[in-house]
Amino acid sequence: MLISCNKLKSHIKNSETIDWLNIWETFTIRTAEVEDVRVVGNTFDSVVVAEILTCEEHPDSDHMHVLTVDCGEDEPIQVVCGAPNVRVGLKTAYVKVGGHIDGMEIKARPLRGILSNGMCCSGCELGISDNHDGILDLPHEWRNGANIKDYLPIDDIIVEIDNKSLTNRPDLWGHYGIARELCAITDHELLTLEIEEIVNDKEDLDIVINNPELCYRYCGLKIDNIKNNETPLDMQIFLYYVGMRSISLLVDVTNYLMLELGQPMHAFDARIVKNIEVGLANEGDKYTTLDGIMRTLTKEMLMIKNGAKYFGIAGVMGGLDSEILSDTTSAFIESATFNAGSIRRSAVKLGLRTEASARYEKSLDPNMTDLAIKRLVYILRKENPEMKVASNLTDVYPNSIKEEVIKLDKKTLNIYMGRELADSQVVNILETLGFKVEVFSDDYMVTVPTNRATKDIKIKQDLIEEIARIYGLENFVPKPLKLDLIPTVHENIFDQEYSVKKLLATKFDMHEVNSYMWYDSALLKEFNMDIKNVSLVGKDVNNILRDDMSFSLMNIVKENFKNYNSFEIFEIGTIIKNNENKRVLSVILADEEKNLEAIYSKAKMVVKYLFKIVKNKSVQFVNNVNEKTYYDSSLGKIISLDNDKMGEINVLNKVLTNKLGKKKCVVTVDIDFDLFVQLEKDVKLAKEVSKYPTVNLDYTVIVNDKKYADLRESLKEFRSNLIKEYELVGRYENKYTIRYVLGSNNKTLETKELQTFKERFISHIKKSGFEIIE
Amino acid sequence: MEEKIIKIKEELVLELSKVTKEAEVLNVKALYVGKKSEIQGLLASLKDMSVQDKKKYGSVINNTKKEMEELISIKLESLQNKVNVSFDDTTDYNLKSGSLHPVTIVAHEVTDILKRMGFTVVSGPEMESEYYNFEALNVPKDHPARDMQDTYYLSNGMLLRTQTSDNQIHAMENYGAPLRICAPGRTFRNEDLDANHENTFFQIEGMVIDKGVSIENLLYVMQQVLSEVFHQQVKVRLRPGFFPFTEPSYEMDMSCLICGGKGCPTCKNSGYIEMVGSGMVHPNVLKAGGIDSEEYTGFAFGIGLTRLAMMKYKINDIRVLNSGDIRYLKQFDVD
Repeated sequence: MLISCNKLKSHIKNSETIDWLNIWETFTIRTAEVEDVRVVGNTFDSVVVAEILTCEEHPDSDHMHVLTVDCGEDEPIQVVCGAPNVRVGLKTAYVKVGGHIDGMEIKARPLRGILSNGMCCSGCELGISDNHDGILDLPHEWRNGANIKDYLPIDDIIVEIDNKSLTNRPDLWGHYGIARELCAITDHELLTLEIEEIVNDKEDLDIVINNPELCYRYCGLKIDNIKNNETPLDMQIFLYYVGMRSISLLVDVTNYLMLELGQPMHAFDARIVKNIEVGLANEGDKYTTLDGIMRTLTKEMLMIKNGAKYFGIAGVMGGLDSEILSDTTSAFIESATFNAGSIRRSAVKLGLRTEASARYEKSLDPNMTDLAIKRLVYILRKENPEMKVASNLTDVYPNSIKEEVIKLDKKTLNIYMGRELADSQVVNILETLGFKVEVFSDDYMVTVPTNRATKDIKIKQDLIEEIARIYGLENFVPKPLKLDLIPTVHENIFDQEYSVKKLLATKFDMHEVNSYMWYDSALLKEFNMDIKNVSLVGKDVNNILRDDMSFSLMNIVKENFKNYNSFEIFEIGTIIKNNENKRVLSVILADEEKNLEAIYSKAKMVVKYLFKIVKNKSVQFVNNVNEKTYYDSSLGKIISLDNDKMGEINVLNKVLTNKLGKKKCVVTVDIDFDLFVQLEKDVKLAKEVSKYPTVNLDYTVIVNDKKYADLRESLKEFRSNLIKEYELVGRYENKYTIRYVLGSNNKTLETKELQTFKERFISHIKKSGFEIIE
Repeated sequence: MEEKIIKIKEELVLELSKVTKEAEVLNVKALYVGKKSEIQGLLASLKDMSVQDKKKYGSVINNTKKEMEELISIKLESLQNKVNVSFDDTTDYNLKSGSLHPVTIVAHEVTDILKRMGFTVVSGPEMESEYYNFEALNVPKDHPARDMQDTYYLSNGMLLRTQTSDNQIHAMENYGAPLRICAPGRTFRNEDLDANHENTFFQIEGMVIDKGVSIENLLYVMQQVLSEVFHQQVKVRLRPGFFPFTEPSYEMDMSCLICGGKGCPTCKNSGYIEMVGSGMVHPNVLKAGGIDSEEYTGFAFGIGLTRLAMMKYKINDIRVLNSGDIRYLKQFDVD
């Protein structure tokens, strides 16, 4: 929102004592974020009022004129001008030779052979309007030769305030509200608005509110005999500076009021207003708004109706046929308050956010509507002294809102503030903001003005916010919180996730990725797959939430195959399965097809390692009959711990793998991380280390037609009290080397004992159906 | 006689300087101090000398022999210690390792700081109910944040959480007051992607509830966290803000690290960068968590972890973070 400092000054007593350029840094930390402060009107100099004395056509041009102007000097000055609106007697803005416009020096120079001493200017050239149809038309009573800035508020400071930071402050959507705020910040006095009181001695207008829950108040007034529809220049400049176009006095004055008070207003052509009805639209009706666009209405949209026909979309935009015409001399002025949510929904649905709807959706104060009309009449009358009020100020206000009183106890205030404030300071802050305060020994009873009560001031904490920000947030100092030394609650999911991630990245050199919660639609389509799961409402691509972590990462696998032949990635993320959140660790190993065995084996090793190192548990792999057709049907394994399924290892099936990369293979691991986190880590008790030496014995066993799993079973069955431990230390094709560490805690082993062990072991292995290399 | 002794020693020094192998040294040793050596001969000849001469030469010969033996053993040790450098000791090494995601690294850093201040790290669900995401957090039905174009609503009536603040309610329900928690996690907004906008990103939530918690305590915690994250003392400033779940609400700005607060393009000449949304926990939120707002006060804050990671690593396109592109991700640390 753009704010003119000239306008603010007009509402503040002794405003010259405010530093208007620098106050905005303070405003940012007291009230709302200021995005820009810009000085305007300083792009020209030596521009004076000049009267055209003579006007001749340029002999060598079809549109230029040769003028002599009186710019307050002894002699008339000759100027060549191309504007169409030149005429004898016109007073306009004239730049003297040596003056500047937009940084460019104006020199005396011939135009098509005739010397032009200076230049007559349009509003656009001076940067005070977007009108470049002709040179300025200034009031006749202005003195020739006077600096134009003596008459017009051209020097100004324009401030841009971040709209988002005003979301919560309906009272700040007009200059008067900002001025009130500045008064509180700088300890100045806010001037009362000048208004014209309206005597209700005429007829009421016919106004009906059908939905009082959506339209809180509707004020209407009819005025006649508006003969002058020319907007005064100073108002035009103000409107231009704050980003609005000047159209005609009647339209401009409603915009002016909206910018001043924050109250959107509408002027209808009174000739066509019969009776006003505020009610809901019919579903599907078509309606053309002021901007000429045909719109489809819904039954939730609140409408202004005139003679049972739509007249405007309440709080958003008037209808094309309600437009005020240039020949009108009478107007129906609307000033109303609507339900914020209703207006916001209409605006969103129509894709039409207007200055009015932006304000209405902040919850405006209904007690502002009649004031706005009285103020409008006051301003309009300055330009139309003959204007007549033609109706009562008709006010339909079914449930008027009253000022609320909030009790603020000093104890709570002191806790929040971390200090005690003097009563006088609290009272002063609140009163300059428009609150009324009664002081008691332990409490303040604070009356909230209605312009703050509609949205942001409901509870005592809201008042604390007001006190704290005007007190000055920069006066707070960081203070440590002193707490009892008690242990905090124990939850270590995040820590466990981190330690597993770190293991995978450091021990196995894998890369962590982050992905999306949903399947990539394009890839599913390429896979020719249709997955049913919870979906995102209102989306038709990338809308199916993942129920298989690894499978959802296949688009990432595909992308990386473009740059790497082999890679390993992992992620801990959420899947949605049976309508429940589930944390899953996915590890994906991707490689060339010929390395399937190696990465499959590595996947199993990684799983074993994680359970062993993080939980000190030993998991088993059980063959899995996989229902998921996208995985290979024979290579799937269930990761099992004490008969509980902890996860799966899978191999992406051949057909889909081919779609990710040629001659590739993809092995996936999914571990149920919710279960993993819950696993208690088994504590291993310390064992004595024997004082006597141990002996290592290596045996190489050929498994032939059997599998290693059979050998493992056989080794498990072989018992001897000499065995300290044994492990698989090497493998070549189907030959496995097992290392036994033998020893005793009481003595050094004798050759005879070792010999017996050897014989027993070899015979056991052979009996189990294996060959052994002796 | 003296000359002879000096000469023998000089000869030895000369011989030792010529040899480079242990065996040669041993030969020299036998030759000069062995049984048949000249000096040994001189020693043997002592017994035939007069008492006067014995006195005169005895100690000289003995000392010289000791010195010679010393010289030989020094030479021997120096040869034994000399290692033949037969390998190239100038090669480079492949230091490749895996990588953690930048957001994981930053999340770990921030939680580590908070843990040292006594915060528990909690985790909450990404698919969330409207109650925990909005209602319990005092976000009214008509609030724009609830709109379809901001929130991912789901076919099962749930939604993807739009902020980590749902953890406030879960934590209060689970643990009650007093409470010190932080909750890093993934959040979702229905946004179109570009270099600055993602629909999936990370935040960290923080919440402290106790008796007598003040605005100044919030300021302190934030200043500490940001100073530690950026490894320098930063200045923070509060600005009025608006969040439904806090009252008062504050935007917290940090002094710009690029210009040190003087004003530069990064901070849009303000000297400050917006870092944290924060405030004092709204009484309605405390109530939803079953905590008496007359007895307890608290503060809460939310920091964009994704944004922090982008600032830390100077990542200028947010989309790479969810791309899974190893070429990009492999450059990050494991710690």
